[in-house]
Amino acid sequence: MIGTNCSQCPSLSRTGRRLFELSVAGFLGPWRVLYREHELISLLVRRDLLTRTSGTLLGWGWTFAQPALQVLAFWFLFEFVLRVKVPGKVAFLDYFLTAIIPWLFVNETLLKSLSVMDDYSAVYRRTVFPLKVLPLLPGLVTGALYLPIYVLLVAVLEGFPAIGKAALIFLVLWAGVMPAAYLLAIAGSFVKDLRQVFPFLLNLIFFLTPIIYLPEMLPAEVRQLLVFNPFADLIVAIHGLLYNTPVTLGNVLRPVLWWMLLLAPSWVLFHRAEPHLRELL
Amino acid sequence: MTAIQLYGVSKTYRAYEGAWHTLWEMVSKTRMHREWIALHPLDLDISQGQVVGIVGTNGAGKSTLLKLVAGMLMPSSGTLAVHGRVAALLELGTGFHQEMSGRDNIYLGASVMGIPKAQVDSLYGEIVAFSGLEDFIEQPVRTYSSGMAIRLAFAVATAVDPDILILDETLSVGDGFFAKKSFDRIIRYKEAGKTILFCSHSMYQIEAICNRVIWLNHGQVVMDGDPARVVSSYEDFLKKLERPEDIVGSGTVSPSGQEPRLKRVEVSVDGRIGKELTARSGLSDLTVTVEFLFNPHLAVPSVALTITDFNGWAVASASSHNDHLVLEPAEEGRCEVQVQFPRLPLLKGHYWLNVFLLCDQALHLYDSAERVAAVLVEQEGIEKGLVSLAREWRVCGESYYPQARELPAHPLVTGRQLG
Repeated sequence: MIGTNCSQCPSLSRTGRRLFELSVAGFLGPWRVLYREHELISLLVRRDLLTRTSGTLLGWGWTFAQPALQVLAFWFLFEFVLRVKVPGKVAFLDYFLTAIIPWLFVNETLLKSLSVMDDYSAVYRRTVFPLKVLPLLPGLVTGALYLPIYVLLVAVLEGFPAIGKAALIFLVLWAGVMPAAYLLAIAGSFVKDLRQVFPFLLNLIFFLTPIIYLPEMLPAEVRQLLVFNPFADLIVAIHGLLYNTPVTLGNVLRPVLWWMLLLAPSWVLFHRAEPHLRELL
Repeated sequence: MTAIQLYGVSKTYRAYEGAWHTLWEMVSKTRMHREWIALHPLDLDISQGQVVGIVGTNGAGKSTLLKLVAGMLMPSSGTLAVHGRVAALLELGTGFHQEMSGRDNIYLGASVMGIPKAQVDSLYGEIVAFSGLEDFIEQPVRTYSSGMAIRLAFAVATAVDPDILILDETLSVGDGFFAKKSFDRIIRYKEAGKTILFCSHSMYQIEAICNRVIWLNHGQVVMDGDPARVVSSYEDFLKKLERPEDIVGSGTVSPSGQEPRLKRVEVSVDGRIGKELTARSGLSDLTVTVEFLFNPHLAVPSVALTITDFNGWAVASASSHNDHLVLEPAEEGRCEVQVQFPRLPLLKGHYWLNVFLLCDQALHLYDSAERVAAVLVEQEGIEKGLVSLAREWRVCGESYYPQARELPAHPLVTGRQLG
């Protein structure tokens, strides 16, 4: 029996090594693309932001004003209309706002990733366009929209020195959603139905993530289920970073594990999909 | 020095029943597709400075070959090496983002080609000026006509001084003025020793521009070599594919809607003008009068004509450019030229007359009047063939000229002879 196991060792070790190499490639790949194609990416991100606000009086100002208005609306709702009070040292409004903006960033990035390949198909089917650039765009555009308001919000709530934490949260989130963005970019190109179903799935995840409620408000048996939702762990970790609320090792390890599991498949599948995407009729 | 090398390069396209099948194949590596071969294994060596024309019918593999060289497709097998910066204009598609302005698309196109922003900044003015889109450059490309978009694409692709230029059926797009500018630029590239891969259905353009032609059919090389030889063989092949109904003549001037254009084409035999004429072999004079309009800011176009038999085979041709004749306008923007074939040497048969208006370099076709007149040639005697060749018989030291000709004292064409 032992001998049998030992004979499998070399192949298991080879598989493990290969998986490790691919995971490293999946981690470094997007950063390399970001570095190599920074001029092209910068142009496309600026263009995307401009297109959103073209023809408006405020122009570029809307990229900041739009998320700011969202925050104001939430503030008005929770502070004056619902007057939600929760136990603990963090006010519910602060708790909510510091969680909802990262969620909006993740939500919008993932949704846009589904259609990003189609949005640029006219370009990459007729030029030697570096396809691996495209799944990076939704995260960068959405980040450019939400990061300034998040930094401002954290500065107001926690003081100016905390803005570094806000930037770190967005950086980690951006790197964290990249494997999913690459996977969704492929899936959205080949399975169009996903674009109809995915918003519903994201809504479901939103309600299962402690953003509009505190985990403590859930019944104990339901709360245990949160361990299957990496976004719930992320929200706990964000609050831990900003408010020094308790964070367990599991809150950090579980999202990291999910992320690591997606690194290799996302990079390998996107690489395999490239010729299909270029030749897709 | 080699610019492009292909060793056993092939391309097989995959057909899937649905997108799900594609995705499943990618994930599971289970074969879910049917294949069709676009390009069979191909060895090719293209030297720097060669201007290579790719000819072939639709589906022959021309665009696939160009896309492989451009790097847009990956070969299914073999190795492909391209030395130098490549600029490609393929499938009449520009690769522009429709929502972006012309300005942003210039930067996008250049960035995709790997040109640093600083270099694009310095080239920007020249690109816009060449495209002639100064007034529209801030508008989204979706508001451009196809001609405007291709002008911009051509300006971007060629402004960055590529080592290898790939053009797929793009040269005939745009107005006459731009077509001439783009041809001039291509000729400059040719003279500068750049490598050009050029795909066109216009055999005239292929023969005029290229110094090597590759004929592809069903993804395989049928012939590769001297343009005149390959084009001639390819045209023979096309003739065999032609159906009789394809060669019924219209006898009218085709309106191109673009300047320069033919205004009037008049054919006469011995002074009789008509669209169906009768001539006597070796006796009648065939005269063709061509009137055309053109943009006075452009060089005066050149005129060419061909005489074809009723199967469409070219029997003879003449062109002002080939005869080193620069046409002179009768008035600004209008020119009339007359060419006469004295004592028509054609033997009996039915012939069509076709007239073409080309740029001054005789590369770009502005307008044409195909099968503008039918000429029935009658002859005395039983001489066989299509033309009667001038000849001299010698018997016992005595010469005999059966077709002694008296050529006119001066040619019946108006213009200035080039030195």
